[in-house]
Amino acid sequence: MKKIIIYTTTYCPWCKATKEFLEKNGYSYEERNVEENNEWANEMVQKSGQYGVPVIDIEGKIIIGFSPEEIMAALKND
Amino acid sequence: MTEIYDSIIIGASAGGISAAIYLKRQNLNFLMIAKDIGGEMVLSGIVENYPGFPETNGVELTEKFKEHLKKYQVEPVNDKVIALEKNNSVFTVKTEKNSYQAKTVIVATGSTPKKLNVPGEEKLYHRGVSYCYVCDLPLFKNKIVAIVGGGNSANEAGIMGSKICQKVYVITKNPEMKGDKFLIEELKSKPNVEIINNALTQEIYGDEFVKGLKYLDKNTNEIKDLKVDGVFIHIGLKPNSDFIPDNWQVKNEYGEIIVNELCQTKIPGLFAAGDVTNIPHKQIGIAVGQGIIAALQVSKYLNSNKWILKI
Repeated sequence: MKKIIIYTTTYCPWCKATKEFLEKNGYSYEERNVEENNEWANEMVQKSGQYGVPVIDIEGKIIIGFSPEEIMAALKND
Repeated sequence: MTEIYDSIIIGASAGGISAAIYLKRQNLNFLMIAKDIGGEMVLSGIVENYPGFPETNGVELTEKFKEHLKKYQVEPVNDKVIALEKNNSVFTVKTEKNSYQAKTVIVATGSTPKKLNVPGEEKLYHRGVSYCYVCDLPLFKNKIVAIVGGGNSANEAGIMGSKICQKVYVITKNPEMKGDKFLIEELKSKPNVEIINNALTQEIYGDEFVKGLKYLDKNTNEIKDLKVDGVFIHIGLKPNSDFIPDNWQVKNEYGEIIVNELCQTKIPGLFAAGDVTNIPHKQIGIAVGQGIIAALQVSKYLNSNKWILKI
């Protein structure tokens, strides 16, 4: 199974929607709440080149925002 | 023959959800169409003025509303409405994927954030420019940000920013901040917040990320420059009513749907509730109340035989 990392903030509704989407489809993920850890925040900006959450890292494929189609495409054949 | 629903609710936030609960309890055959659940309410941040919930937030409240829909087995159709028509007392609701018919329609589509339409805003979106302080302010820890806006969202964004950022500028085109006095006082009490009145934002600049913004100081007529890392735009909302034909003449100059105290429009069978209406106070509690009024009025309309299919 591919490793999924989600960068989130506490009250971000799209982060919640992304997590729910993955759970509904049976995928596990590692959540990195950027409010809790500044290093994760820098890591997210470095990986995505931007300041919006959520950011989803699927083994190097970076997806910005809640985008079920892109997530499913990145997880294809998984 | 195509099924004709008693009602179609467009939108699944505060107004749409309360309408759905009441239509269900009247045992009416209805459909709910929405592109998401919660709409702008989800982005409300901390909510402390909704009775029964001394302190909650947009996400939690939306979850509670979803639970309530689930209890009544209401499953919104996930689609976007693009057009509304009416022929012989029957409404046709056209979506991106389908088309549905109903005797009545409740529009509860809410509103979306307005843009400033200044240079740099689009280019630097998500590169320091954001329309969601609740989502993105935490990324600006110990940085300098500008909040553009003069109402409650800007007040709340400024207060949240004061706890996270090194410095927060709140920029309003008005002579003073508007909204809840309680919030304005709190904002003013923050030592790292500076409110700039009578300021018109002209440009947001930066290469890869935001580096600053320029505004026109209306007091001196000078262009001034602020070095900031982030710009949060909270200048009000635009009603989501584009799919309603202009020739029905049910919208005011701002695009809000004009309703009376019973949430009726001048088109028989067409009702509206919540932020999309011309009621000046955009509040979750008000949207909930209007949704209830609209649903009860739908029931009354159907029972009064005003709905007659003319073939």
